[in-house]
Amino acid sequence: MSVGQLTFLAFAAFTLGAAVRVVTHRLVFHAALWLIASFFGIAAVYLLLESPFMAGVQLFIYIGGVAVLTAIAVMVTKGMMRRDLPTMANVRSSALVAVSLFLVMSWTILQMPLPEAPASPVFEEGLAMLGMALVDPRGYLLPFEVVSLMLLIVLIGALYVARER
Amino acid sequence: MFVAVPLSWYLLLGAALFCVGVYGVLANRNLILIIMSIELMLNAVVLNLVAFARYIEPARVTGKTFAIVVYATAAAEAALGLALVIAIWRAENTVAVDEMDLLQG
Repeated sequence: MSVGQLTFLAFAAFTLGAAVRVVTHRLVFHAALWLIASFFGIAAVYLLLESPFMAGVQLFIYIGGVAVLTAIAVMVTKGMMRRDLPTMANVRSSALVAVSLFLVMSWTILQMPLPEAPASPVFEEGLAMLGMALVDPRGYLLPFEVVSLMLLIVLIGALYVARER
Repeated sequence: MFVAVPLSWYLLLGAALFCVGVYGVLANRNLILIIMSIELMLNAVVLNLVAFARYIEPARVTGKTFAIVVYATAAAEAALGLALVIAIWRAENTVAVDEMDLLQG
Protein backbone atom coordinates (compact mmCIF):
# COMPACT_ATOMS: atom_id res chain seq x y z
CA MET A 1 0.00 0.00 0.00
CA SER A 2 1.47 3.32 -1.05
CA VAL A 3 0.45 6.78 0.08
CA GLY A 4 -1.40 7.35 -3.21
CA GLN A 5 -3.43 4.19 -2.80
CA LEU A 6 -4.30 5.00 0.83
CA THR A 7 -5.37 8.53 -0.22
CA PHE A 8 -7.52 7.08 -2.98
CA LEU A 9 -9.16 4.61 -0.58
CA ALA A 10 -9.88 7.40 1.92
CA PHE A 11 -11.50 9.64 -0.73
CA ALA A 12 -13.40 6.70 -2.23
CA ALA A 13 -14.77 5.68 1.18
CA PHE A 14 -15.82 9.29 1.88
CA THR A 15 -17.54 9.62 -1.51
CA LEU A 16 -19.34 6.30 -1.25
CA GLY A 17 -20.40 6.90 2.35
CA ALA A 18 -21.84 10.31 1.45
CA ALA A 19 -23.61 8.79 -1.59
CA VAL A 20 -25.18 6.08 0.58
CA ARG A 21 -26.37 8.76 3.01
CA VAL A 22 -27.97 10.62 0.06
CA VAL A 23 -30.14 7.68 -0.95
CA THR A 24 -31.01 6.46 2.57
CA HIS A 25 -31.62 9.71 4.46
CA ARG A 26 -35.16 10.41 5.62
CA LEU A 27 -34.83 14.21 5.41
CA VAL A 28 -34.55 15.44 1.84
CA PHE A 29 -32.61 18.58 2.73
CA HIS A 30 -29.96 16.57 4.60
CA ALA A 31 -29.75 14.30 1.56
CA ALA A 32 -29.01 17.39 -0.58
CA LEU A 33 -26.19 18.37 1.81
CA TRP A 34 -24.73 14.83 1.67
CA LEU A 35 -24.94 15.08 -2.13
CA ILE A 36 -22.66 18.15 -1.95
CA ALA A 37 -20.23 16.15 0.24
CA SER A 38 -20.23 13.32 -2.30
CA PHE A 39 -19.50 15.77 -5.15
CA PHE A 40 -16.57 17.14 -3.12
CA GLY A 41 -15.21 13.61 -2.77
CA ILE A 42 -15.40 13.06 -6.53
CA ALA A 43 -13.59 16.38 -7.13
CA ALA A 44 -10.81 15.12 -4.81
CA VAL A 45 -10.61 11.88 -6.83
CA TYR A 46 -10.20 14.02 -10.00
CA LEU A 47 -7.25 15.73 -8.31
CA LEU A 48 -5.73 12.27 -7.67
CA LEU A 49 -6.20 11.64 -11.41
CA GLU A 50 -4.10 14.78 -12.04
CA SER A 51 -7.05 16.51 -13.74
CA PRO A 52 -7.37 19.79 -11.81
CA PHE A 53 -9.49 21.29 -14.60
CA MET A 54 -12.12 18.55 -14.21
CA ALA A 55 -12.01 19.02 -10.42
CA GLY A 56 -12.72 22.73 -10.90
CA VAL A 57 -15.53 22.03 -13.34
CA GLN A 58 -16.97 19.55 -10.84
CA LEU A 59 -16.95 22.23 -8.11
CA PHE A 60 -18.47 24.92 -10.35
CA ILE A 61 -21.14 22.92 -12.18
CA TYR A 62 -22.12 20.26 -9.66
CA ILE A 63 -21.71 22.02 -6.31
CA GLY A 64 -22.26 25.58 -7.54
CA GLY A 65 -25.06 24.69 -9.93
CA VAL A 66 -26.77 21.34 -9.58
CA ALA A 67 -26.55 20.85 -5.81
CA VAL A 68 -27.62 24.41 -5.02
CA LEU A 69 -30.51 24.10 -7.51
CA THR A 70 -31.55 20.87 -5.78
CA ALA A 71 -31.39 22.49 -2.33
CA ILE A 72 -33.57 25.36 -3.58
CA ALA A 73 -36.07 22.91 -5.06
CA VAL A 74 -36.24 21.11 -1.71
CA MET A 75 -36.94 24.40 0.06
CA VAL A 76 -39.59 25.52 -2.47
CA THR A 77 -41.52 22.25 -2.18
CA LYS A 78 -41.50 22.11 1.61
CA GLY A 79 -43.91 19.70 3.25
CA MET A 80 -44.43 17.96 -0.06
CA MET A 81 -44.47 14.33 1.03
CA ARG A 82 -47.79 13.35 2.54
CA ARG A 83 -47.10 12.34 6.09
CA ASP A 84 -48.98 9.04 6.24
CA LEU A 85 -46.86 7.39 3.54
CA PRO A 86 -43.25 6.18 3.89
CA THR A 87 -40.51 7.89 1.87
CA MET A 88 -39.10 4.55 0.74
CA ALA A 89 -40.71 1.79 -1.28
CA ASN A 90 -39.39 -1.64 -2.33
CA VAL A 91 -36.23 -1.27 -0.24
CA ARG A 92 -35.29 -4.96 -0.36
CA SER A 93 -35.84 -5.58 -4.07
CA SER A 94 -34.10 -2.28 -4.98
CA ALA A 95 -31.09 -3.24 -2.86
CA LEU A 96 -31.05 -6.66 -4.50
CA VAL A 97 -31.06 -5.09 -7.99
CA ALA A 98 -28.30 -2.61 -7.08
CA VAL A 99 -26.06 -5.19 -5.40
CA SER A 100 -26.38 -7.73 -8.21
CA LEU A 101 -25.68 -4.99 -10.78
CA PHE A 102 -22.55 -4.06 -8.83
CA LEU A 103 -21.43 -7.70 -8.67
CA VAL A 104 -21.83 -8.10 -12.45
CA MET A 105 -19.98 -4.81 -13.12
CA SER A 106 -17.11 -5.53 -10.73
CA TRP A 107 -16.71 -9.07 -12.10
CA THR A 108 -16.48 -7.61 -15.62
CA ILE A 109 -14.00 -4.94 -14.51
CA LEU A 110 -11.77 -7.49 -12.76
CA GLN A 111 -11.81 -9.72 -15.85
CA MET A 112 -10.52 -6.96 -18.14
CA PRO A 113 -6.79 -6.45 -18.73
CA LEU A 114 -6.51 -2.88 -17.41
CA PRO A 115 -3.32 -0.83 -16.93
CA GLU A 116 -1.87 -0.81 -13.42
CA ALA A 117 -0.42 2.70 -13.76
CA PRO A 118 -1.07 5.81 -15.92
CA ALA A 119 0.27 5.53 -19.47
CA SER A 120 2.73 8.43 -19.24
CA PRO A 121 3.32 11.52 -17.10
CA VAL A 122 0.54 14.07 -17.38
CA PHE A 123 0.67 16.15 -20.55
CA GLU A 124 1.60 19.78 -19.83
CA GLU A 125 -0.36 21.37 -22.70
CA GLY A 126 -3.40 19.11 -22.16
CA LEU A 127 -5.72 21.96 -21.13
CA ALA A 128 -4.69 24.18 -24.05
CA MET A 129 -5.24 21.24 -26.41
CA LEU A 130 -8.69 20.68 -24.91
CA GLY A 131 -9.60 24.31 -25.49
CA MET A 132 -8.31 24.21 -29.07
CA ALA A 133 -10.17 20.95 -29.81
CA LEU A 134 -13.46 22.46 -28.60
CA VAL A 135 -13.29 25.32 -31.16
CA ASP A 136 -11.62 23.40 -34.00
CA PRO A 137 -13.99 22.50 -36.89
CA ARG A 138 -11.95 19.32 -37.44
CA GLY A 139 -12.08 18.64 -33.69
CA TYR A 140 -15.17 18.82 -31.50
CA LEU A 141 -16.70 22.15 -32.58
CA LEU A 142 -20.02 20.62 -33.71
CA PRO A 143 -20.79 18.63 -30.52
CA PHE A 144 -19.70 21.63 -28.43
CA GLU A 145 -22.06 24.00 -30.26
CA VAL A 146 -24.91 21.47 -30.27
CA VAL A 147 -24.62 20.95 -26.53
CA SER A 148 -24.49 24.73 -25.89
CA LEU A 149 -27.64 25.21 -27.97
CA MET A 150 -29.33 22.33 -26.13
CA LEU A 151 -28.41 23.87 -22.76
CA LEU A 152 -29.86 27.25 -23.82
CA ILE A 153 -33.11 25.69 -25.08
CA VAL A 154 -33.46 23.53 -21.98
CA LEU A 155 -32.94 26.48 -19.62
CA ILE A 156 -35.56 28.58 -21.46
CA GLY A 157 -37.89 25.57 -21.43
CA ALA A 158 -37.30 25.06 -17.71
CA LEU A 159 -38.24 28.71 -17.05
CA TYR A 160 -41.41 28.22 -19.14
CA VAL A 161 -42.37 24.98 -17.38
CA ALA A 162 -41.80 26.31 -13.83
CA ARG A 163 -43.42 29.73 -14.39
CA GLU A 164 -46.29 31.01 -12.24
CA ARG A 165 -49.58 30.45 -14.02
CA MET B 1 8.85 3.18 -4.06
CA PHE B 2 5.69 4.82 -5.37
CA VAL B 3 2.96 2.37 -6.39
CA ALA B 4 0.26 3.89 -8.56
CA VAL B 5 -3.46 3.27 -8.10
CA PRO B 6 -4.61 0.67 -10.67
CA LEU B 7 -7.24 1.81 -13.17
CA SER B 8 -9.61 -0.94 -11.98
CA TRP B 9 -9.95 0.78 -8.57
CA TYR B 10 -11.37 3.91 -10.22
CA LEU B 11 -13.72 1.79 -12.31
CA LEU B 12 -14.87 -0.10 -9.21
CA LEU B 13 -15.53 3.22 -7.43
CA GLY B 14 -17.53 4.37 -10.46
CA ALA B 15 -19.51 1.11 -10.53
CA ALA B 16 -20.26 1.34 -6.81
CA LEU B 17 -21.42 4.98 -7.13
CA PHE B 18 -23.59 4.05 -10.11
CA CYS B 19 -25.23 1.22 -8.16
CA VAL B 20 -25.90 3.51 -5.18
CA GLY B 21 -27.65 5.79 -7.68
CA VAL B 22 -29.64 2.86 -9.09
CA TYR B 23 -30.76 1.96 -5.57
CA GLY B 24 -31.79 5.58 -4.96
CA VAL B 25 -33.85 5.73 -8.16
CA LEU B 26 -35.62 2.45 -7.40
CA ALA B 27 -36.20 2.83 -3.65
CA ASN B 28 -37.20 6.47 -3.25
CA ARG B 29 -40.67 7.85 -3.73
CA ASN B 30 -39.57 11.49 -3.65
CA LEU B 31 -38.97 12.91 -7.13
CA ILE B 32 -36.24 15.29 -5.92
CA LEU B 33 -34.30 12.38 -4.36
CA ILE B 34 -34.67 10.45 -7.62
CA ILE B 35 -33.14 13.40 -9.54
CA MET B 36 -30.28 13.51 -7.01
CA SER B 37 -29.68 9.78 -7.54
CA ILE B 38 -29.57 10.30 -11.31
CA GLU B 39 -26.94 13.00 -10.75
CA LEU B 40 -24.90 10.48 -8.73
CA MET B 41 -25.12 7.99 -11.61
CA LEU B 42 -24.01 10.63 -14.16
CA ASN B 43 -21.12 11.54 -11.87
CA ALA B 44 -20.03 7.90 -11.76
CA VAL B 45 -20.00 7.80 -15.57
CA VAL B 46 -17.91 10.98 -15.79
CA LEU B 47 -15.49 9.52 -13.22
CA ASN B 48 -14.99 6.54 -15.54
CA LEU B 49 -14.40 8.86 -18.52
CA VAL B 50 -11.80 10.95 -16.68
CA ALA B 51 -10.02 7.84 -15.35
CA PHE B 52 -9.86 6.30 -18.83
CA ALA B 53 -8.62 9.61 -20.28
CA ARG B 54 -5.78 9.69 -17.74
CA TYR B 55 -4.75 6.01 -17.99
CA ILE B 56 -5.27 5.13 -21.66
CA GLU B 57 -4.66 8.28 -23.69
CA PRO B 58 -3.20 11.15 -21.64
CA ALA B 59 -1.92 12.96 -24.76
CA ARG B 60 -5.38 13.28 -26.36
CA VAL B 61 -8.55 15.11 -25.39
CA THR B 62 -11.36 12.73 -26.37
CA GLY B 63 -12.16 11.57 -22.82
CA LYS B 64 -12.36 15.07 -21.39
CA THR B 65 -14.48 16.34 -24.30
CA PHE B 66 -16.90 13.50 -23.60
CA ALA B 67 -16.88 14.42 -19.91
CA ILE B 68 -17.69 18.08 -20.70
CA VAL B 69 -20.61 17.10 -22.94
CA VAL B 70 -21.95 14.81 -20.17
CA TYR B 71 -21.61 17.70 -17.69
CA ALA B 72 -23.64 20.04 -19.88
CA THR B 73 -26.30 17.37 -20.36
CA ALA B 74 -26.41 16.68 -16.62
CA ALA B 75 -26.88 20.38 -15.88
CA ALA B 76 -29.69 20.57 -18.44
CA GLU B 77 -31.31 17.46 -16.98
CA ALA B 78 -31.18 18.85 -13.45
CA ALA B 79 -32.65 22.22 -14.49
CA LEU B 80 -35.50 20.71 -16.51
CA GLY B 81 -36.19 17.96 -13.94
CA LEU B 82 -36.42 20.38 -11.05
CA ALA B 83 -38.60 22.75 -13.11
CA LEU B 84 -40.95 19.80 -13.69
CA VAL B 85 -40.90 19.03 -9.96
CA ILE B 86 -41.95 22.61 -9.17
CA ALA B 87 -44.65 22.59 -11.87
CA ILE B 88 -46.06 19.28 -10.59
CA TRP B 89 -45.91 20.49 -7.02
CA ARG B 90 -47.94 23.58 -7.98
CA ALA B 91 -50.56 21.44 -9.73
CA GLU B 92 -50.78 18.42 -7.42
CA ASN B 93 -49.12 19.56 -4.17
CA THR B 94 -46.98 16.42 -4.02
CA VAL B 95 -43.58 15.21 -5.21
CA ALA B 96 -44.19 11.52 -4.49
CA VAL B 97 -43.86 9.66 -7.77
CA ASP B 98 -46.75 7.25 -7.13
CA GLU B 99 -49.18 10.08 -6.36
CA MET B 100 -48.69 11.78 -9.74
CA ASP B 101 -51.58 10.94 -12.04
CA LEU B 102 -51.90 14.09 -14.19
CA LEU B 103 -51.38 12.14 -17.42
CA GLN B 104 -53.69 9.28 -16.52
CA GLY B 105 -56.74 9.15 -18.74
